[in-house]
Amino acid sequence: MKILKISRGFDLNVAEQPDLNCAQLALPSSLGCCAGDIPHIRPKLLVKEGQRVKTGDALFTDKRDTTIQYVSPGTGQVEKVIYGHRRRLMEVVIATESEDEYVEYDPVDLDGIIDMPRDALVTVLKKGGLWQGLRQFPALDFADPDHSPALIIVVMDGNDIFSPRPGIILKDNITAFEAGMAVLRRFSNRLAVVCRKSSLEGIREQSSSVADQITHAAPDIYPAWLPGAVLYQIKQQAAENSTWYIRLDHLVMMGRFLLSGRYPVEKIVTITRPGEQHPHMRVRQGMPLSALIGAMPGNSIVTTGRFNGRVLEKDAHIGFFENTVNIIETGPEEEMFGFARPGLDKPTLSSTFLSSLFRRPANMDCTLHGETRACINCSYCERICPNDLMPSFIMKALHAGELEDALALGLMDCCRCGLCSFACPSKIELTRILSDAMDAYYKDKQ
Amino acid sequence: MKNPLKKIFDDTKPFFTGDGKYKKYEPIWDATKTFFFLPSQKNSFMPFVRDHLDLKRYMSIVVLSLLPVTFFGIYNTGYQAGIGAGESWPVTQCFLVGACYVLPIIIVSYAVGFAWEFLFAVIRGHNISEGFLVTGLLFPLTLPPTIPLWQVALGISFGVIIGKEVFGGTGRNILNPALTGRAFLFFSYPVSMSGDVWVAGKHLVDGVTGATALSVTGAGGQSITAALGDAGYSLGQLFTGFVPGSVGETSALCCLFGAAILMVTRIANYRVIIGGIAGLVITSVIVYLIPGGQESWSNAGPLYHLCAGGFLFGISFMATDPVSAPGTNPGRWIFGAAIGFLTVIIRVGNPAFMEGVMLAILFMNVFAPLLDHLVLKYKSSKRIPNV
Ligand code: SF4
Ligand code: SF4
Repeated sequence: MKILKISRGFDLNVAEQPDLNCAQLALPSSLGCCAGDIPHIRPKLLVKEGQRVKTGDALFTDKRDTTIQYVSPGTGQVEKVIYGHRRRLMEVVIATESEDEYVEYDPVDLDGIIDMPRDALVTVLKKGGLWQGLRQFPALDFADPDHSPALIIVVMDGNDIFSPRPGIILKDNITAFEAGMAVLRRFSNRLAVVCRKSSLEGIREQSSSVADQITHAAPDIYPAWLPGAVLYQIKQQAAENSTWYIRLDHLVMMGRFLLSGRYPVEKIVTITRPGEQHPHMRVRQGMPLSALIGAMPGNSIVTTGRFNGRVLEKDAHIGFFENTVNIIETGPEEEMFGFARPGLDKPTLSSTFLSSLFRRPANMDCTLHGETRACINCSYCERICPNDLMPSFIMKALHAGELEDALALGLMDCCRCGLCSFACPSKIELTRILSDAMDAYYKDKQ
Repeated sequence: MKNPLKKIFDDTKPFFTGDGKYKKYEPIWDATKTFFFLPSQKNSFMPFVRDHLDLKRYMSIVVLSLLPVTFFGIYNTGYQAGIGAGESWPVTQCFLVGACYVLPIIIVSYAVGFAWEFLFAVIRGHNISEGFLVTGLLFPLTLPPTIPLWQVALGISFGVIIGKEVFGGTGRNILNPALTGRAFLFFSYPVSMSGDVWVAGKHLVDGVTGATALSVTGAGGQSITAALGDAGYSLGQLFTGFVPGSVGETSALCCLFGAAILMVTRIANYRVIIGGIAGLVITSVIVYLIPGGQESWSNAGPLYHLCAGGFLFGISFMATDPVSAPGTNPGRWIFGAAIGFLTVIIRVGNPAFMEGVMLAILFMNVFAPLLDHLVLKYKSSKRIPNV
């Protein structure tokens, strides 16, 4: 096992670590299939309100590739279809029945996966609603099945500091994991399996054979374990720029789907809330937020990741790619003489607050802590960027319309970890600027 | 209970925002309000948590780091005036007299500078930038205590307008605005900025000159260090700062203290300061080792070069201005080292124009973008291309 080294990033010291127990939540009265967290998708609805669907029935597809399906996580009637900005499909909500009725596929065993024609494997995964778990760099669109990637990265940990622990996801799922790995080996002969150092122990407890397959351990510095940061560390040649990656939970789902022939509806989710420790939760895909967190605390936002993710509205359902819910309190709206306080409890990268003298767990709130100003060239963003980028120079190149310069400076290597925006004292939305530019460039090339 | 101050701002808000009567003055209202109440809006885009450091605090730390030199400057102005008058004054009198000379300069600088800042904020419709808190204090610290106040007003106006606003405001300027203002005065009104202008007060007694250490040269075979000692500029005095000079620059000790605050809080980039000191030391040692020039500054050695004149002040507070310095780390090293190098070269090579650090910084400000460009080119060439 190789140890990845990363010197830049956010050295974690955050309160609110979730409990390592696992609680099972009951089936809620509604489930959602969400399109809000899927990058680049142009969704096309396949069902009508009032129509009854089985678990595993396709609800919508991607106009760019209609063989890729997004399927229902439960059985029942389509209660409503929610559209967002410009009538973009956001969610299909199912009113659930207590008994599941599944769309059945032929189960395949481990040898079957190895012998199955590649096309057939792709087709069944696309139809079963699991192909999209495989993402392709640099734009993080779904993997192009016609491409043979030089490398596939399996990331054991999620996008957030407190994403579910791999040990808990792996529990009772070791064969499913092996099946998933067998699928990946059909597409590339080089796999890199990466996990956080602090997750190793939990994985070993579940299965030493899984632990033995881990090729890289990432230090517990955010975002060392994010796929984009991992790729940047291990990449040796330009051919690896279009590497694929998959997260452990999706890999396990793929395995379970193939072994059982049914859409795997289960998912492990963590909730973090200030001042409280919640256990990991075993829930259905598409769980409504209200069933997960109960009443939403006032004056706070709910996100699917502190540094990267999206804001969830009160009545939202969590999406296919989301398995962490952070409840972050708003700080005081305006602080008297805020700029002059000693700041014992204010997490910061600089050393301008007393908090930098002590390593106490940081209480983070979801406010901007200042106002937007022009870039002052302070390089805080560069100092924290895990992928050795200079976000301020890339931003300036983009503002000047010099896309070529921005690309030469490594724009497409940005892993959208959010740290540059976190650090910027001028409160410039660097991550947003870079991320929008990457998406625009990708869209342009298509 | 609601904070009474907060109530004032809430009550006056309708006048200054939207279509209020005094909408024009919104930047002033806003700047005052945000001075008292740090605004914190909710994040709507990732990341949803943000660092607590903002530009107000950033600039406040710079002002904090300037306080030692400011207070010492006020004291020393009074102290030197006392010597000039041939008397030895007690500490409080030194402070009071010093304050009478220095505070008006600072007040004029802030008042006039803020007026311009405000005007441009209104024209451009943006918020008042905190950067001026620093510029407005840095500028007076580079001036002699005898400067006429109208020149202060003129200098800061030039610094703000030509040094900053014509480039598009804070963050876009190429030159350090405070230094630009000071250079403008230096070339426009040389009489006020050089020669025997560094001691406040009228009645100079015999044997007390009003010139800075840099204007000393050894005469008739006397070595420069001996000549400096004779003139009352021993190394110890230069280090502690009880010598004539610009208000803020005389004390190496206080400058180092300020530099330490800036480096420890990581507000200034240490590369510029360390690089600058290294550049100065290395260059002055090399110059020292070249034979000849006994009586000139080439023979002064690194310690005198460090402590005399405004080098430490310049490298700690002027060169570290992040906007006009390079934005890449290798660029910062080169930038600092080149300032150190040029400072010595100008002092040694041009006895008519001793204070080299100001020109060195402005000169390197101009080259900062080029340094960045070269570093970026090199760094890009090392990346595995991803397009
Ligand atoms: S540029 Fe910003 S978002 Fe991108 S990798 Fe660097 S720190 Fe993360
Ligand atoms: S952190 Fe912000 S202000 Fe500093 S260099 Fe980066 S973009 Fe500019």
